[in-house]
Amino acid sequence: MVQAKAQRDSSPLLAVRNLRTSFQVEGRWTRVLNDVSFEIGNRQTLAVVGESGSGKSVTAMSIMRLLPPATSRIEGEVLFGGRDLLKLPSEEMRRIRGGDIAMIFQETSLNPVYTIGFHMVETLRQHRNLSAAEARREAVALLDKVRIPSAASRLDDYAHQFSGGMRQRVMIAIALACNPKLLIADEPTTALDVTIQAQILQTLRDLQAEEEMSILFITHDMGVVAEMSDRTIVMYHGDAVEEGETRQIFAAPRAPYTRSLLAAVPRLGEMAESPGPSRFPVIDRATGAVVAPAASGSVPDGSAPIILQVEDLVTRFDIHGGALGGLTGRVHAVEKVSFDIREGETLSLVGESGCGKSTTGRTIMGLTSPNSGSVRMEGREVGSLGRRELRMTRRRMQMIFQDPVSSLNARMTVGTAIAEPFLVHKLGGKAQARDKVADLLERVGLRPDMANRYPHEFSGGQRQRISLARALILDPKLIIADESVSALDVSVKAQVINLMLDLQSQLKLSYLFISHDMAVVERVSHRVAVMYLGEIVEIGARAAIFGNPQHPYTRKLLSAVPVADPYQRGQRRIEVSELKSPVRAVDFVPPNREYREVSAGHWVQLADN
Amino acid sequence: MILWLLKRLLQAVLVMVAMSIIVFVGLNVIGNPVDILISPDADQAERLRVIAELGLDQPLVWQYVEFLKAALQGDLGNSYVFNQPALQVILQRMPATLELAVIAVGFATLVGLPLGLYAGLRSQSWLAKFLMAGSILGFSLPTFWIGLMLIMVFAVQLGWLPSGGRGETASLFGLQWSFLTADGWRHLLLPALNLSLFKMALIMRLTRAGVREVLPQDYIRYARARGLTEQRVISLHVLKNIMIPIVTVIGIEFGSVIAFSVVTETIFAWPGMGKLIIDSINVLDRPIIVAYLLLIVVVFVWINFAVDVVYTLLDPRVRLGQKGSAR
Repeated sequence: MVQAKAQRDSSPLLAVRNLRTSFQVEGRWTRVLNDVSFEIGNRQTLAVVGESGSGKSVTAMSIMRLLPPATSRIEGEVLFGGRDLLKLPSEEMRRIRGGDIAMIFQETSLNPVYTIGFHMVETLRQHRNLSAAEARREAVALLDKVRIPSAASRLDDYAHQFSGGMRQRVMIAIALACNPKLLIADEPTTALDVTIQAQILQTLRDLQAEEEMSILFITHDMGVVAEMSDRTIVMYHGDAVEEGETRQIFAAPRAPYTRSLLAAVPRLGEMAESPGPSRFPVIDRATGAVVAPAASGSVPDGSAPIILQVEDLVTRFDIHGGALGGLTGRVHAVEKVSFDIREGETLSLVGESGCGKSTTGRTIMGLTSPNSGSVRMEGREVGSLGRRELRMTRRRMQMIFQDPVSSLNARMTVGTAIAEPFLVHKLGGKAQARDKVADLLERVGLRPDMANRYPHEFSGGQRQRISLARALILDPKLIIADESVSALDVSVKAQVINLMLDLQSQLKLSYLFISHDMAVVERVSHRVAVMYLGEIVEIGARAAIFGNPQHPYTRKLLSAVPVADPYQRGQRRIEVSELKSPVRAVDFVPPNREYREVSAGHWVQLADN
Repeated sequence: MILWLLKRLLQAVLVMVAMSIIVFVGLNVIGNPVDILISPDADQAERLRVIAELGLDQPLVWQYVEFLKAALQGDLGNSYVFNQPALQVILQRMPATLELAVIAVGFATLVGLPLGLYAGLRSQSWLAKFLMAGSILGFSLPTFWIGLMLIMVFAVQLGWLPSGGRGETASLFGLQWSFLTADGWRHLLLPALNLSLFKMALIMRLTRAGVREVLPQDYIRYARARGLTEQRVISLHVLKNIMIPIVTVIGIEFGSVIAFSVVTETIFAWPGMGKLIIDSINVLDRPIIVAYLLLIVVVFVWINFAVDVVYTLLDPRVRLGQKGSAR
C-alpha cells in the first residue's frame, strides 16, 4: 500500500510521448510538431519556451485536444493520470478540460459580452453539481483567493471594467474552480506591464504551493522561464531542441539554438561595466558558434551639438461625459516634461502603460498638439514654424512604430513605400529615389531586389527593417522609435537593435527610444528618463539610473523585471498594487515639482511634501 | 440616458418636419390633383369651387402652415378620394401590412439564423456550400418574379393555397387581423414567404460571416478550454457576439417591409398600406401621401430606437449617449 502510493507519487502527472501534430493547409498535411516528448511531475512547473511559430502553443492545444478536428491530426500519446487523453471519447475529454486540467490564456480571453460572474458560475456548474446560489458563493470565495478586492461586488462587472492584471486574476480564479491537478498557462503575462506581471507570477507561485498543482507554462520570455520553472523545454520549428533542468539550461545550454536564444536575451545589470550601448553577440543557430561577439557602440562626447530640446512640454486630453456631455476631467498625459538629446545619443523613455511616454513622442512629432511647452529641433522652435518650415523640420525627425504591419500600406510595394517620403518632399527624381531605396535596403540588411515585393511577403523583423529604411530616406537626425522592437521575437529583436546601433554609429543618428522593456533599454541607451503618470521622475546617464536608482518608482520598476537567472528565482516580493491613472478633475492644478541632482546629469524628482 | 432619449426625440421631430416640407414642395411641383379628381367636362365654376374647398387656392407656404396647425391637433387632412381623415384610412390598412411584415421578418430570422449558424460552423460541408449558393438566388431573383412563380406553383398548379386577398379576419383591439384565423394563415403564407426570401438570404449570410469571425476568437477557445459543452459555446458565447449586425439588419428590414412591401402586396392583392400608397400617388391624393410618409418616419425612428436599446443589452461596452474621449 505504502509502496503503491510512493509509486504513484513518483510517476509523472502528465507524460507526453512522441506528440506529432499536423495541420491541413490547402489540402496538404503539414507537420507542425515533430515527436515532442516530456513529462511533468506532481507540483512541478515545466516551461515551454520558443519564438513565434515554434509550436509551443500547438503543444498545449494538442494536449487539450482543442485544435479543430477537421483540419488537424494529433498522433502520439498524452498520458494523464495513466489515461491516454488522445484516445478518450470526446465527452470524457470535455470533462477533463476545466476540471482536472485548467487553462489560462492572455487576459483578453474573457468573453466581452458576459460578466465575469457568468464565466465563473458557468464553469463551476459545468463541472460541479452546484446550485446557482452555491456557485455564486463559491465564485466569490475564488475571487478572494486570487486577491481581488471587494470580490462580491465585482462579480457582475464585465471584463472591460477590470484592469489587465485583475482580468488575469479572474482567469486564474476560474482555472482554480475545480481544483485542477495541472494548470496550462499560455503566455498569461505577455501583454501585462512589468510590475503587474511580477504580481501575477507571484500569485501563480503562491497558489501552486497552496493547491499542489503542476504548471505547464508557455512563454517566449526567458526571464519568466527563469522565474517560474523547474524544468524547461526549448522549442524551435516544431522540435523540442533541448529539455532539462532550468538551471542546467541557463548555465550550460547544449543545443546551438538555445545558445543563440540565450545570447539574445538582454539581462538587467549586465551592462554595468560598459559605458555606451552594446551590440548583442550573434550566434549561429545551426552550429552555435559565435559569429560576432558583443561590441560596444559609440559614445557621444559632451561637445556634440544638441539635436532636440524639449522644455516643459504639457499635453492633456479632455474627457467628456455625464448627462450633458460636459467636461468631466482631463488626462494629464504629459506634464512638464523636459529633456534634450545630443547628436549620436540615445535617450530612452521608460514607463508602464499610460505613463505618457508614447504621447510625449507623438507630441514631439507634431502628431498631437501640446497644451504648452516648447520643442526645439536643431535650435528651431517647432511650434512657431510655418507650414513649409514645419515640413523641413519634420524631415529631420522620423518615427517608427511598434506594428510594422499596420504602418506599411499592404497595397504598395516596399520600394514605393520607402521612396514615397523622398518624392513627397521633392528631394529628387524617381531614378534617384530608386538608387537611394536600393542603397538603404542594403544598409538595413535586406537585398535591393526586394523593393518590388509587398509587405506581406516579409517577416515581422524584416518589416521593421523596412520601416527603418523608410525613416532613413529623408536623412533624419533624430528617430523616435515608439516600442519599435517590443512585438518582435527575442532573436529578431536583438538583430534589429544591432542594426539600429550600427546605423547610429555610421550616421550619427540620435534616438528617442520609447519602451517599457527595462532590459532592452539598458542595452541601447546612453541616457534614460523614467516616466510615471505623465511626469519624468528620474533622468540621467544609463549607468546612474540602473546602478543607483533614487526614485521609489524607478526602484519598483527595476525590481519587477524578471531576471533571467534561475538561481534568483522567487527571491523578490512585490506588493500588490494597480497602475494609477493620470485622469484628473477639471480643476486639478499639478503640483510644482522639484528635482535634486544626485550626480552630474542625474536628476530625481523629490517626493510630494 | 435621458439626454440621449431627448436628443433622439428632437432628431425624430426634425426628420418629420424636413420630410413634410420635402413632400409638400415635391407634390406641389407634380401636377394638380384637381385635374384628376374632377371630370374633364366640369365647368370653371365647379373647378374653382373644388379648388377652394381643398384649400388649393392658397399660397404653398400658407397651405403648409395650415397643415402644420392641423397636424399638431392630430388632423392630417382628409383624403380627397375616400373623403375620410387620411390617418384613419391608413390605420385601417395598417394591420394587414404589419402582420405581413412581422411574419415575413420572423420567418426570415427563424430560418436564416439557424441555417447561417450551420453554414458558419460546417463551412466545408456540401450542404453549407449549397445554402450559400442558394442565398445568392435569394438576393438576385426579383421579388415580383418569385411572387408570380409562387402563385403559379402553389395556387394555380397545385391549388393548395389561395392566390390573393386577406381571407377571413378576426377582430383584436378593434382592428381586423388575418393571423387569428386558419383561413387567414393560408392567405398569409405565400406573400410572407415571398417577402422573407431576400431577408432570409441576408440574415443567413450575415450569421455565417459573424460565426466565421467569432470562432477563431480567444474567448471561444477559452470557453472550450473550460470544458463547456459545444452546444453551450455556440448558443451562448458565439451567438450573443454575432447578434449586433443581425439585429441591425432585422430592424432595417422590418422598417422597409412596412414601408415598401408594395410589389408583394400588389401581386397578392394584399390590402395593405403599400397598395394604398401606390393608388394614392396615382390620383395625387396629397393628404394620404403626406400622412403615410410621416407615419413611416415615426415607424423607422421607433425601430432604430429599439435596435439601439437592444445593442446595449447585447454588448455592455455600448453605452448610449456617452462619447468616449477621442484621442
